[in-house]
Amino acid sequence: MSTLTEAPTMLRVEGVHKWMGHNHVLRGVDLEVRQGEIVCILGPSGSGKSTLLRCINHLDPVDGGVVEVESERIGYETRRGTLYEQSERDVARARRRIGMVFQHFNLFQHLTALENVTYGPVKVLRRPRAEAVAHGRELLASVGLGQKEDSYPSELSGGQQQRVAIARALAMRPQLMMFDEPTSALDPELVGEVLAVMKRVAEGGMTMVVVTHEIGFAREVADRVVFMDQGVVVEEGTASEVLDDPRHERTASFLRRVR
Amino acid sequence: MNLERVAAPVAGRLPEQGEVDRRSVAVKARRRPRYGQWLTAVLALAAFAALVRSQATNPNLDWAVTGQYLFHPMILDGIKITLLLSVLSMLISIVMAFVVALMTQSQNKVASLIGRAYVWFFRGVPMLVQVLLWFNMAVLFPRILGQDTNTLISGFTAGLCALSLAESGYMAEIIRGGILSVPPGQTDAAVSIGLTRPQALRRIVLPQTIRVIIPPTGNQFIGLLKASALVSVIGGSDLLTKTQLIYGQNFKILPLLAVATIWYLALVSIASVGQHFLERHFSASAGHRKAAGSRGRRTRKATS
Repeated sequence: MSTLTEAPTMLRVEGVHKWMGHNHVLRGVDLEVRQGEIVCILGPSGSGKSTLLRCINHLDPVDGGVVEVESERIGYETRRGTLYEQSERDVARARRRIGMVFQHFNLFQHLTALENVTYGPVKVLRRPRAEAVAHGRELLASVGLGQKEDSYPSELSGGQQQRVAIARALAMRPQLMMFDEPTSALDPELVGEVLAVMKRVAEGGMTMVVVTHEIGFAREVADRVVFMDQGVVVEEGTASEVLDDPRHERTASFLRRVR
Repeated sequence: MNLERVAAPVAGRLPEQGEVDRRSVAVKARRRPRYGQWLTAVLALAAFAALVRSQATNPNLDWAVTGQYLFHPMILDGIKITLLLSVLSMLISIVMAFVVALMTQSQNKVASLIGRAYVWFFRGVPMLVQVLLWFNMAVLFPRILGQDTNTLISGFTAGLCALSLAESGYMAEIIRGGILSVPPGQTDAAVSIGLTRPQALRRIVLPQTIRVIIPPTGNQFIGLLKASALVSVIGGSDLLTKTQLIYGQNFKILPLLAVATIWYLALVSIASVGQHFLERHFSASAGHRKAAGSRGRRTRKATS
C-alpha cells in the first residue's frame, strides 16, 4: 500500500456532475486512482456507478467537474484560458488509453474472436497485421480461449464472450482498464472464469476501476473499495475497512442486503 | 404386460441404451378421414381447370400470336431496357438511401430534417406522378447545363430518375431500420477502442445491418421490376412500351399482354431465386452458423 500512495495519479475525478434529463445522477463525485491501483466501486443499482465509468471515457459527457487521465482532461481542452469541447478525433485518441469492459460484452457480432481482438490495434493504432495477430493470439490464449479464435461471438458462452472482450480491451495496451459490472449478465457458473481472468490482469500491474457486485472479488483483489449511493461517494478505504467495518449506515445496510 | 412386450429383446439382442425400436412404441391409430379437405381440394382443382380451359380455348386470346411474339426482337429489346432500368435504379437508390439514412440518423438537426423531408416527399408522391414530373421537367427548366432539357431527359432517363428517387425513399427507411436494429452497445464498444462515432457507424454498425437489410431489399427489387412498367406512359421503351407499340399496330391486344405477363413472371421468378441465394449467403456469412463461418474464412484466406 505504501508504494501505491507514492505512485503517480492515473485517474482524477473531481466534482463530477451528470444529469440524465431531470435526474441528477452524479452529484459531485471525487475519485483518485493511482497507477497500478485496483479500485472496486460498490453501490446499489441506480447509485451512478456505471454512469461514472461512462463519464470517465466520455461515452456520456459530464455536465460539471473534471475528469483527467494522467493529468490530461478527457473530452475537453483548455486553449488560452478557455475550455473547449474536444473534437471527435481527439476524444477518440484519448479513449485509446482507457480499456472498457461492458456488462453485456458488446463484442462485434460480425467478427471472429481474433478479429475482435485485433480490430483496434490494426485499424486504430495502425499496427502491422502480423504483429497484431500474434499479440491477439497471445491474449486469447492468456484468457484461456486459444482454441476459439475463429469462433463468432454467437458461438461462445457469456463467460467466453466476456473473456474475449477483456482481451479486446487489453489489445489496445491501455493504461487504465474499466470494468462495468462484468459478471452481472452471466450465468452463476460462468462468473468464476471471468473473475479469474480479471484477477490475473490485476496481478499484471494494470490500473483497474471495477464496478461490481462481487464482494468476494473486491475483498480479495481491491486495493481500495469505494461505496457510492445516490450519486456521491459515501465512503472509501481498504477492502477490510469498508466491508468489515463500514462507517456509514448506508454502506452497512447495503452490505447486509447483498450478503 | 404391455410394457414387457415393448421392452422385449428383438432376436436375442438387447437394445442399447437410448435405442428403442420406433415401431414398438409407435402410436397405432387410424388417421381420421378429412372429408372437408378432400372436398376443398377437388373444388379448387375444378375451378383451376375451368380457368385454364377458358383461357386455352378462348378464341380472343389466340395463343399462336403469343407464341409468335414471345421472342420477337422488339420484345427482347424491351426486356433488356426493363432489366437495365430496374437494376440501375435499384443500385442508384441504394447509394442515395445510405446517404439519406445516415442524414436522418445524424446529430446535425438540419441534415436530419432534410433527410426526413426527402423520405416524406419521395415516398409520399405516387411513382406514376413522379415519372410524369420528370418527363415534363422541360416545362420547369427549359435548359439544363446549356442543353435542351427534352433531348437531355429522354423517356428512359426520366424513368430512371423517377424510379431511383422514389425507390430511395423506401430504401432509406429500410436502411434506417437496419441501423436501429444494431444494439447501441456496439457503438459504445467501437468508440471505446478509439474509433470516432462516424467511423463506428460506418465500420462496425453498417456491416451488421446488411443481414437485416437484404430480405426487404429483395422484395423492393421485385416491386421495382414491376413498377418499371410505369415508364410505358412516357414511352420509356421498356417491355410494356414495346408490347403496346406492337399491339397498337396489329390490334392483338390480349395475346401481346400475355407475352408481357409471361416475361414479367419469368423475371420476377428469377429475381426471387436470386433473392433466396443472396439471403442464404448473407445470413451465413454473418457468422450465425459454424460451418458457414469457417467457409467464409477459407475464401478470405484464399483471396489474400
